[in-house]
Amino acid sequence: MSSWPPRQNLPDLEQTLQPVFDLLQRWGRRRIAIVAVAAVALLWLASGLYVVGPGERGVVLLFGRVVDETESGLRYRLPAPVQEHRVVDIASVRRAEIGFRAERGGGRAIPSESLMLTGDENIVDVQIFVQYLVRDPVKFLFGARQPEVALHSATEVALRAAVGQNTIDYTMTEGRVEVQDRVKDQLQALLDLYGTGLLVTEARLLVVDPPKEVKEAFHDVVRAWEDRERLIKEAEGYAEGVVPKARGEAVQMLQAAEAYREQRLIRARGDADRFVRVLGEYKKAQAVTRDRLYLEMVDRVLPKTRTVVVDGRPEGSGVVPLLPLRDFYPGRTTSQATPAATTPASGGR
Amino acid sequence: MIWRIIPAVLLVVVLSTSTYVIPEWQQAIVTQFGQPIRTVREPGLYWKVPLLQTVTVFDKRVLAADTGGAEYLTLDKKRLLIDHISRWRIEDPLQYFRTVRNEVGAMARLDDIITARLRQEVAKESFKEIIREKRDEIMDTVTREARTLSAPFGIQVLDVRVKRADLPTEVQASVFARMQAERQRIALRYRAEGEEKGREIRARADKEREIIMAKAYQESQSLRGAGDAQATAVTGLAFGQDPAFYGFVRRLESYERIFSPETTVVLRPDSDLLRFLYSPRER
Repeated sequence: MSSWPPRQNLPDLEQTLQPVFDLLQRWGRRRIAIVAVAAVALLWLASGLYVVGPGERGVVLLFGRVVDETESGLRYRLPAPVQEHRVVDIASVRRAEIGFRAERGGGRAIPSESLMLTGDENIVDVQIFVQYLVRDPVKFLFGARQPEVALHSATEVALRAAVGQNTIDYTMTEGRVEVQDRVKDQLQALLDLYGTGLLVTEARLLVVDPPKEVKEAFHDVVRAWEDRERLIKEAEGYAEGVVPKARGEAVQMLQAAEAYREQRLIRARGDADRFVRVLGEYKKAQAVTRDRLYLEMVDRVLPKTRTVVVDGRPEGSGVVPLLPLRDFYPGRTTSQATPAATTPASGGR
Repeated sequence: MIWRIIPAVLLVVVLSTSTYVIPEWQQAIVTQFGQPIRTVREPGLYWKVPLLQTVTVFDKRVLAADTGGAEYLTLDKKRLLIDHISRWRIEDPLQYFRTVRNEVGAMARLDDIITARLRQEVAKESFKEIIREKRDEIMDTVTREARTLSAPFGIQVLDVRVKRADLPTEVQASVFARMQAERQRIALRYRAEGEEKGREIRARADKEREIIMAKAYQESQSLRGAGDAQATAVTGLAFGQDPAFYGFVRRLESYERIFSPETTVVLRPDSDLLRFLYSPRER
């Protein structure tokens, strides 16, 4: 309300209103009374005007009884003791939070709401939010006392029932959607039973976590699973390295063997060819060829070796023992030298 | 002027004291010196005798009784904190007014009825059944019983639900310990499984490698053998034409191969090679 004008302004006001007073003087008392009554009656009638905003619905009561529902716009009803009205927002989606309260800078957890028992006697931390709107404004207004409080506790009822049906692992993983659906269905059934006039549009699980006391153990399970996968992947990597490498080695081995086979045959053919050709010529002049081959070999071999000539006749045999054999035969060559020296000598005959 | 105003004021007074409005969400009983005259359950404008009759209004909406939790003992002697909530409405205002008078009285009576029934039902079932399978069944039974027992108070119970069913705080710690142990077991299993599968995969790969290598060895040996055989066949055929000559030629080759600069060859002057050394005239 605006404040009263300051006192010193009053005379001014009186002066400005003077013509009105004069007019009233001329009309007379009776008329003034009629005008006053009419004005009051008009104001009274005008008090029946009300506005129903967009997305709202008006409910009109006649002596406490619902007689009309009005759409948005400027509306009229009979004034106060006869009719009254209520306006309900039916378009905006409302929100209820269980297990936490949204606040600036994130939510505040409420453990007494969010901790609950699962079907396998574990405890799980669940936070859910429910979106709903007013479906039936009359029921919403007059069906149940504090319908939105009823929704809050009915959500808790439905949530705990749904979580109690399942194991902790199922609830935390693939069961989330099922839990959501169950909560939504049961919540709607309860709200209908209580006559709240509310419609649940969505129930969504925000958090399904192990309680903080055992969180670390749950995280370790996740890590263990990762370890498991890593060990398998590493082994698979090893296998993927080993098997192709072995195959490569096998192919290499086979190729080498094939090469050996081929070269053996080719070389053998070469050897055979060489022999057969030499043999052909040998047959034509056997003694000469034999000597020639022998002597050619000697030409090639003896210059490379240390050659000692020893008089082997009986009268000169005294020389042999004087040979400094140690110097002549360094190590293992002794065994080779002696027969080698004698064989051509005896076989060549 | 005044003679016109007085009747008007009087009319307003009479009207306001002899009428009453019951809105949509209320119901009422009309009493005359404490004696009930009638019950009004429909909304609207009603008449009464002014001064003599009084109107007592009650809520007609669905009301909640949320009394907080109590501890219950299950069949398997486990303690369970159950916080139940019931929905009810005043069905018979007169009966209600006579027996419990107001909401505080009604709620106390309801809580007595429900808690007693719930205690009986909970004591019949094991902990697991209460949490998991029979929750709805138990609550349906309690609701039915509570409905019958609260009817004399003019109350209609819509339903009774378990809002919370929790373990007492001191039991929670042991639940957490158990959960922890369970998770540790699972973690251990996962890691062991990884080890198992890893070893299996490695062993399988090693096996495969051994087989591949052995097969390659087998085949390469047989290839080499075939090569050797073919070579033997070819050379045997050729060398067999004159074994003596082959022996001669082959030995010459061997000499070339086996003699090195370290070899000392001892020749006797009467050897075939040196036979002309001292006696050039010999044939």
